[in-house]
Amino acid sequence: MRSIPRLALAGLVAAVIGASGCGRLAVRASEKEYLADPVMVFDQDPQTSAADDHVLTNREGQAGGNGASGGGCGCN
Amino acid sequence: MQLNQHLRRALAGAITIGALLGARAAVADDHVEVSSTWYQEKRAGGRGGLTVISPMFDLGFDLGSHTTVDLGYSADAVTGATATVYSVDAVTQATTFSDFRNEGKLGLTFTGKRSTFGMGALVGTERDYVTLAVSGGGSIDLPGKNTTLALSYTHNRDQVCDKDNAMATILERRALSGLDPCDKSNGVFGKDRPGTTVWHDVAIDTAQASVTQNLSPTMNMQLALWGQIVEGFQSSPYRRVRVGPNEPQENQPETRARVALSVRINRYLPGLKAALHAGARVYDDTWGVTGGAVDMGWSQYFGQNLILDLHGRLSQQTAAAFFKDAFFYETESTAGAYFTGDRELSPVRNILVGAKLAVVSIAEDDKQVWGIFDRLQFGLKGDLLSLDQLPADRVSENQAGTADQFLTGGFLNAFVVQLSLLAQF
Repeated sequence: MRSIPRLALAGLVAAVIGASGCGRLAVRASEKEYLADPVMVFDQDPQTSAADDHVLTNREGQAGGNGASGGGCGCN
Repeated sequence: MQLNQHLRRALAGAITIGALLGARAAVADDHVEVSSTWYQEKRAGGRGGLTVISPMFDLGFDLGSHTTVDLGYSADAVTGATATVYSVDAVTQATTFSDFRNEGKLGLTFTGKRSTFGMGALVGTERDYVTLAVSGGGSIDLPGKNTTLALSYTHNRDQVCDKDNAMATILERRALSGLDPCDKSNGVFGKDRPGTTVWHDVAIDTAQASVTQNLSPTMNMQLALWGQIVEGFQSSPYRRVRVGPNEPQENQPETRARVALSVRINRYLPGLKAALHAGARVYDDTWGVTGGAVDMGWSQYFGQNLILDLHGRLSQQTAAAFFKDAFFYETESTAGAYFTGDRELSPVRNILVGAKLAVVSIAEDDKQVWGIFDRLQFGLKGDLLSLDQLPADRVSENQAGTADQFLTGGFLNAFVVQLSLLAQF
């Protein structure tokens, strides 16, 4: 369990770097054609992701926490 | 429910409901999605395999310009073989079982210009396990809309049926059987009815923070930090472990803290009309299980309407600190107060390879698909899985070996087939 605080700290640092690193102009709105493609969206199909999680939690004690769905074009 | 799949379903449910808001982001229009998943695992012992059929139904629709509603139902029908006693020869003592679980969920999402906030609730019932979960979460796009920060939290207040072992010592505890009544007054949400069984509380708190970042016009990535604390009865009430001359119900710790960190990257390749996917994940928990997983994927367009997705995943984990190969429980006893025959707490390597074919029809020039839909997607997915059981203890001293301590059969021991239909309107 000693490694959990280190892991959490590494995650936090990575998150901060990720949030601040690429900045406001990394990709312009007019350049987001490919990012908007469904194949670029994380967990594009929620039911498939749920079924995958279901299978893995019955085969591994380490399952869970694979990330969030969405992303891609920032089209909210 | 044999094994402790009921708890695992609750854990998976915590993942699912936490992702409810994200699901809204991924499927932004009004939609209906139905799917059915068939999981088949080969089992040793000549009493058949393990079969799980899981139909799912989801409906999402707008309520005004800023509010969306998501409703979902899923079920699991499980039949198959299970081990009654974790021992050097669990295979010959396998028995058969069946179970059915219902699960319903409701979500509300409020969407602003650059942010979303949502909440949801989930109820799951089966004969010996009740899940009640609430979740909340939100996401915000930073200026430029190249960075999305998301947070979600889920709290489960579950209950699991067990044999009433209040007066028994650890080595005297009896296991639940499928014939035990698991009675409650006023149905599954009522209070425990005194008798031979008792209902234990299980609290599960799950949180996730993620950052999704556009790195270039053809590449994005996501970092996610996930944590979970489980408090309460986590043993399988049905599973016994042979400890010396005794066969008591297994005994797992009542508190478990889990954390995982994952990174995923997508890269679009315009010249090939394809996308490359890669991911990695590390995991640790307070029971001593540490693990990691890597996965790769490739999505290939064939024309406008056909997408072939190929994917693979390799994971490996260490055993929980109190897990022993069955031979050593039998000959040396336990390593402290806890002992388990849970395959998922043993050292395992899991390999998955699969493919998904999606046929997509998209409305063009105000001409709807079938006169109704903006987008229609039919999917067929198949996965092959291999679970490689690794020894937890000294191989040279294990006179009985580990081949028959679990029911896992063969190298390629499971497959998954999923059919799905997603209609957006």
